[in-house]
Amino acid sequence: MDAFVELSAELTGFSAEELRSTGLVEQYAVLARDASPAEIIQLWYTGVWRGVVPSARAYAEGLAWKAVGVAAPGTAGPGFGSWERRPRSSAG
Amino acid sequence: MRAVVVGAGFAGSLIAKVLGDNGFRVIVLEAGAETGHDEAVRAFRTALVKTPLAPYRRTVAAPSSDYLINTGPFAYASPYLRANGGTGSVWVGITPRMHPEDFRTADLGRGRNWPIGYDDLEPYYRAAEWEIGVAADADEQRQHVPVAGGYVYPMHALPRTYLDHVVASVVDGASIDGHELLVTGTPQARNGVPTTGYRPDGNRCAGFASCVPVCPENAKYTPHRTQKRWSPTVELRTRCVANRVHADEFGRVTKVSYQRYEDDTTGRHTRHEVEADVVVLAAHAIENAKLLLLSGLANSSDQVGRNLMDHPALLTWALMPHPVGPFRGPGSTTSIEAFRAGGERGTRAPFRIEIGNWGWGWPAGSPDTDTAEFVAAGLRGRALRQAVADRVGRQFTLQFEIEQEADPANRVTLATECDALGNPRPSVHYDLSGYVKDGLLAAKRVSDRLFELLGAEDHTSYKPDDERYFEHDGEPLRYWGAGHGGGTHVMGSSPRDSVVDQWQRCWDHPNLYAVGCGSMPSLGTSNPSLTMAALALRTADHLVSRRAGLLAEPAGSRPPPR
Ligand SMILES: Cc1cc2nc3c(=O)[nH]c(=O)nc-3n(C[C@H](O)[C@H](O)[C@H](O)COP(=O)(O)OP(=O)(O)OC[C@H]3O[C@@H](n4cnc5c(N)ncnc54)[C@H](O)[C@@H]3O)c2cc1C
Ligand code: SF4
Repeated sequence: MDAFVELSAELTGFSAEELRSTGLVEQYAVLARDASPAEIIQLWYTGVWRGVVPSARAYAEGLAWKAVGVAAPGTAGPGFGSWERRPRSSAG
Repeated sequence: MRAVVVGAGFAGSLIAKVLGDNGFRVIVLEAGAETGHDEAVRAFRTALVKTPLAPYRRTVAAPSSDYLINTGPFAYASPYLRANGGTGSVWVGITPRMHPEDFRTADLGRGRNWPIGYDDLEPYYRAAEWEIGVAADADEQRQHVPVAGGYVYPMHALPRTYLDHVVASVVDGASIDGHELLVTGTPQARNGVPTTGYRPDGNRCAGFASCVPVCPENAKYTPHRTQKRWSPTVELRTRCVANRVHADEFGRVTKVSYQRYEDDTTGRHTRHEVEADVVVLAAHAIENAKLLLLSGLANSSDQVGRNLMDHPALLTWALMPHPVGPFRGPGSTTSIEAFRAGGERGTRAPFRIEIGNWGWGWPAGSPDTDTAEFVAAGLRGRALRQAVADRVGRQFTLQFEIEQEADPANRVTLATECDALGNPRPSVHYDLSGYVKDGLLAAKRVSDRLFELLGAEDHTSYKPDDERYFEHDGEPLRYWGAGHGGGTHVMGSSPRDSVVDQWQRCWDHPNLYAVGCGSMPSLGTSNPSLTMAALALRTADHLVSRRAGLLAEPAGSRPPPR
């Protein structure tokens, strides 16, 4: 498990802690047993595994959204009018 | 008084409510099934491709737009949904009024005139805005359309996006080809801060950013809201596909046949009939035409199914110099209205420009595609994370809605192929005229200028192997379907060349009405549903005031169908 998290962290640019906080490590470790690095990245970033979204959480926790600093559409409401504010620096 | 409404979508739900409130016994036949709200939200989250129809329960017996057969040179590219609530469940909720000029398109541009004008519809615009709950500022709207003095929208204008502010700070007051630019708030059917006397239904918009295809917060108007307010005299029958309207020898409509199914996975069904004093077809522009053709009714003008229009949308996409925070809040909260009216519509189609707040999601599938691109380029780890953040954080899209004129050659007919219930599938012949293409090209040029003003890095590209790609005057172009199908039972001032009169009553049948965007002789450049809703309320009022006449009207007081 730790090896999978370490590899994922190296590939995605998100820390082991950030990855664990998605609650998806166990599910992904099983899914991605014999995946290529590109597939592992796609799974983490977009929540898609070989043409399927394995769970609603996989979509919601997509790292592409987190990299940008926004919630995946349809998963969280940051509040009325929040869209008017200057975005927080998008750098991760 | 027994009314049968065919279709529990946007227009049908509104009409059924007014009729029910006024003592009609209403039966609403709805072809599709019901999708629970939570079920739709869940389905959206796990859909691989988050297409507009993805969250909704679909049935074999009542297929949605994907069973339509395209036969023309261009694809009719707009979806519609057959499920309770109809396409009105899926829509974005952008609700601008039409421009007064848009009612006289034949005189000023191309296409057809309306038998009524903006002033006839103005009170019903107000009624529709209060019925569905629109957030906008009257003074701001008066800058481009005449809104009645003293009028207040039920809710204050929604806050603009950060992107809107950035765009406005650059383009407001600048000009392109003599058009002065102004970023203007777009009326929205989603809950904001109410003005005096309005009690919003549902929650306030919290910025879930998935208005299409489903708002998890119930902040966006959908027909389900109106259905909740139906009086007990309105009865909804789901999984009932109307397949024929019957008229007697004098043209009076007597009953509707429908097919009822229980199993969503097969075409197995039972046959039924329901008698009616008045029938209102509200099955969506394409399905209304199909049903009229199938019934052999209302077509003495030979215009049923013809004049199919949409808004061919041109999308252009670019990167701002700095992060703008896309994918937060509604899809678009402002627009540039400067190209909607004026002398140029004599030579090319006019357009409205929506400032799109969901990155390159619509045109390019961001952020998945950006990720894939960077991964393919070998980026890993922090470099990848940084690249995605930088790219996606600066994205925005301009959405140009181009007017398409009514052209009788663009039409819905019955295909020889049948669906699982044995009914013919709709066949569509669709083309873009030189007028539309000139409009698309003019829009592209305006986009180039806007990006230049904004210092934005243009990433727009249309390639020959893209869907709906074409070239015009040697320039690559592409269009998208906006979902705004209309014109197929066109309204006019004479039975010779139109299907319905100004009340959306079929000229050939005193007690048959066809409502929805299909009645609209032009779509102008505004998203059509508010205008459609205003027309529906106007028709409902007319039906209520004609109640006695509906029963008593002697057969033959109108020309019988030929
Ligand atoms: C992605 C998308 C975004 C959109 N965004 C906007 C927007 O922001 N602003 C705007 O103004 N417009 C928008 N629209 C357009 C808007 O959704 C339509 O104009 C509107 O829903 C049309 O209303 P209607 O009642 O005619 O049809 P619908 O809402 O589609 O309702 C028709 C109903 O009839 C039922 N039906 C069909 N055939 C039968 C039959 N044979 N028997 C019984 N029932 C039947 C259907 O199941 C459906 O429930 C959008 C459309 C799409 C696709
Ligand atoms: S932005 Fe979110 S809360 Fe607001 S209407 Fe759209 S989906 Fe609903």
